Amino acid sequence: MSRYLLSRLAQLVPVVFGVVTIVFLLLHLIPGDPVEIMLGESAVAAQREELRRELRLDRPIAEQYMDFLGGLAGGDLGVSFRSREPVLREILSRFPATLMLAGAALCVALLVAVPLGILSAMRQHTLIDHLCAFVAMLGLSMPNFWLGPLLILVFSLHLGIFPVGGYGTTRHLFLPALTMGTGMAAILMRMLRSSLLEEIRQEYVRVAASKGLSRTGAVLRHALKNSAIPVLTVLGLQFGALLGGSIITETIFSWPGIGRLLVQAIDARDYPLVQGCVLFIALCTVAVNLATDLLYSRLDPRIRHG
Amino acid sequence: MRTAPRIALSALLLAALPLFPAGCAPKLPIDEGTLVIALPGSPGSIDPRLATEAYGEQLLQMTHSFLIKRDPAGNPAPDLAESWVERSPTEFVFRLRKGARFHDGREVTSADVRYTFEWILDPRNRSPHRATYDAISRIETPDPHTVVFRLKYPFAPFLVGMARGIVPAGSRAGGYAPVPGAGPFRSDDFQPDAGASLSRFDGYYGRPPAIGKVIVKFIPDSNIRFLELKKGSVNFVLNGVDPDLLPSVLANPNLAIDEAPGGNVSYLGFNLRDRILSDARVRRAIALAIDREAIVRTIWKGRADPADSILPPGFWAHADGLPPLRRDLAEAKRLLDRAGFPDPDGDGPKPRFTLTYKTSQNELRRRIAAVLQEQLRQAGIAVEVHSYEWGTFFSDIRKGNFQLYSLTWVGIADPDIFHYAFHSSQAPPDGANRGGYSNPELDRLVEAGRRETSRSARKEIYRKVQLLLSRDLPVLPLWAGRNVLVRDRRLGGFRLTSDEDYTSVREMRIEGEPGGAGGKAVR
Repeated sequence: MSRYLLSRLAQLVPVVFGVVTIVFLLLHLIPGDPVEIMLGESAVAAQREELRRELRLDRPIAEQYMDFLGGLAGGDLGVSFRSREPVLREILSRFPATLMLAGAALCVALLVAVPLGILSAMRQHTLIDHLCAFVAMLGLSMPNFWLGPLLILVFSLHLGIFPVGGYGTTRHLFLPALTMGTGMAAILMRMLRSSLLEEIRQEYVRVAASKGLSRTGAVLRHALKNSAIPVLTVLGLQFGALLGGSIITETIFSWPGIGRLLVQAIDARDYPLVQGCVLFIALCTVAVNLATDLLYSRLDPRIRHG
Repeated sequence: MRTAPRIALSALLLAALPLFPAGCAPKLPIDEGTLVIALPGSPGSIDPRLATEAYGEQLLQMTHSFLIKRDPAGNPAPDLAESWVERSPTEFVFRLRKGARFHDGREVTSADVRYTFEWILDPRNRSPHRATYDAISRIETPDPHTVVFRLKYPFAPFLVGMARGIVPAGSRAGGYAPVPGAGPFRSDDFQPDAGASLSRFDGYYGRPPAIGKVIVKFIPDSNIRFLELKKGSVNFVLNGVDPDLLPSVLANPNLAIDEAPGGNVSYLGFNLRDRILSDARVRRAIALAIDREAIVRTIWKGRADPADSILPPGFWAHADGLPPLRRDLAEAKRLLDRAGFPDPDGDGPKPRFTLTYKTSQNELRRRIAAVLQEQLRQAGIAVEVHSYEWGTFFSDIRKGNFQLYSLTWVGIADPDIFHYAFHSSQAPPDGANRGGYSNPELDRLVEAGRRETSRSARKEIYRKVQLLLSRDLPVLPLWAGRNVLVRDRRLGGFRLTSDEDYTSVREMRIEGEPGGAGGKAVR
């Protein structure tokens, strides 16, 4: 296991290297000058050049890249051009909000997807199955920019249960989590249904039933665990994406997460902050996928790492 | 085995309990005496030495006292400096009021004023405001309540540039920790992208604010700002509700709208280096083909005023009686014919020529672009609209990589803007003469305007400048959007000014009860 873990961690190096290189090059290729954005229009050419020198933006791009890699190797992501705060501090200050939202969205998705997915599989081709399919389609086809305001209209304006937006208490968390979790729930529900249907037809389920276990018991005790692996794969990918922040949901609900931080950094051509955010998101994605892989062996003892 | 799921379910339900409120609906902030302001964006800095965005400036107008203020017409007015004397065109003496204190209890002295401006002028601090104070050669503090500014050369816009928040000497800069000010509200908390919390500062030198607590929320989505207003969780939004949503505001008995002329002028920029647009007849033809009144009526829902200069109407240097530009399609076509661009097929589909029009991805700007495109098509001019992400769009404009574009001048403080925007030496990156306009007569006038310190003489100089510009049309002023405040009907006392100044939040009070007919209070 530890050898497997080490080899997976070693694989991180080329991933991180690839991500930072692509982001660095893209950022320097797109139009827009951070110095102009920082100093505003009123600054004279001498001031611009002065700042360009100070930020080392006057150096050849290869030299800037080596500087960046050197900083990265020492754990220094640089200082934000816009706020003058260390990039790592900026990212870590936003991460709790993003993590909280991603975790809550995951809970919403699981709470909806697991019971409905099981029900749908056990009652295949019945009205319940069709209703679940309809709910899943609805969840998948509602974009967050539409669902978010709709939930606000219903739960905040008409029912007055939750605040419209903002951050701070658990009540602020419910609507953005529901918005983000709905689409994810729909995917998980369909995935669980098809995976469970395959398992239900297996010999061992029939054997369990013939030994006197109820059909529900056989499904919940035996088939569900075996059908979890593909679901876990999707879950890991989705959760990794959620940790990157959701620009739309964060904007609708004024949620101060990493998604909004990244968009503002791009607008301001805040190179260190963009690079830091993208690197952080890549690391989160890799970490979640690694955790998912490790969980496989817990679910299925036939899978052994190392 | 079976107890585990039960425990998990119980724990989940317990955890979910705080999500649901107790029986009665929570009180609205205004019922508890709190003013909740929504701003459309989060400032990158709330330090007066660094802040450049409007949202940062608006927060600072509540938390900081300035050396001097600017009134809506652009005239200097007392704030921390209760008076000033211009001993010579290069020497200004400011007398500070006694008894003004910072939020940390220290008295405001000349040393703080000197520190603030010297910090900005220090190149190591990379302040975006440094260029504004480039004319300053020395700052002297003969006593704790007197500051003397000596200039390298006479510079007429110097005085209005002194409208800058003062911070205590030695204040750390950068980051999000609020820097103490001497304004009517103290900043208790600032969370980037979330909001700020302000409370009344009882040591304020003027009359303390009537409202004890102000919450500022940063809400980027216009629809959500509107929904928060409807719910009552926000009760004050200045220029943050789309024109399309304002009729719904009028139907709400708890909300009121105040309206005042605005100071931000949108304009159409021409690239004068372009073969087609270098001809003044073509630019005039474009101006005559555009129906600004129709755009104001349909897209702005009447909440903008057609502009004839980049200086807003009501500004002290705005020239009255400039030749009006009304839509005249026949004259536009005649001018294009005379300029050597005849219509190749009469009413047929072929255009006289094709231009590209660059704009941002803002939805309102894109709709305006579509209308301009149609109006110019009627004159035989084909327009390709290209909308870009802001950084890319602005970079193209700065590089002169455009034929037509539209932007807005925001927060004009002095007519010296004409030097910056139209003097032949001010091509980017040094200035904002993006279209490459060059006119020796205008150069001479704007140079004289920045040296002349007499207000009446400057007014006459800039009247001539505006006449020249209305003749040559290096840019076409389009309209000045009106300032629209949507507020809870119980809120009163805010003075809506053309420059979107939040200073008068300190004079606001909560009065009366909601109810009655919805309506509009136009100032």
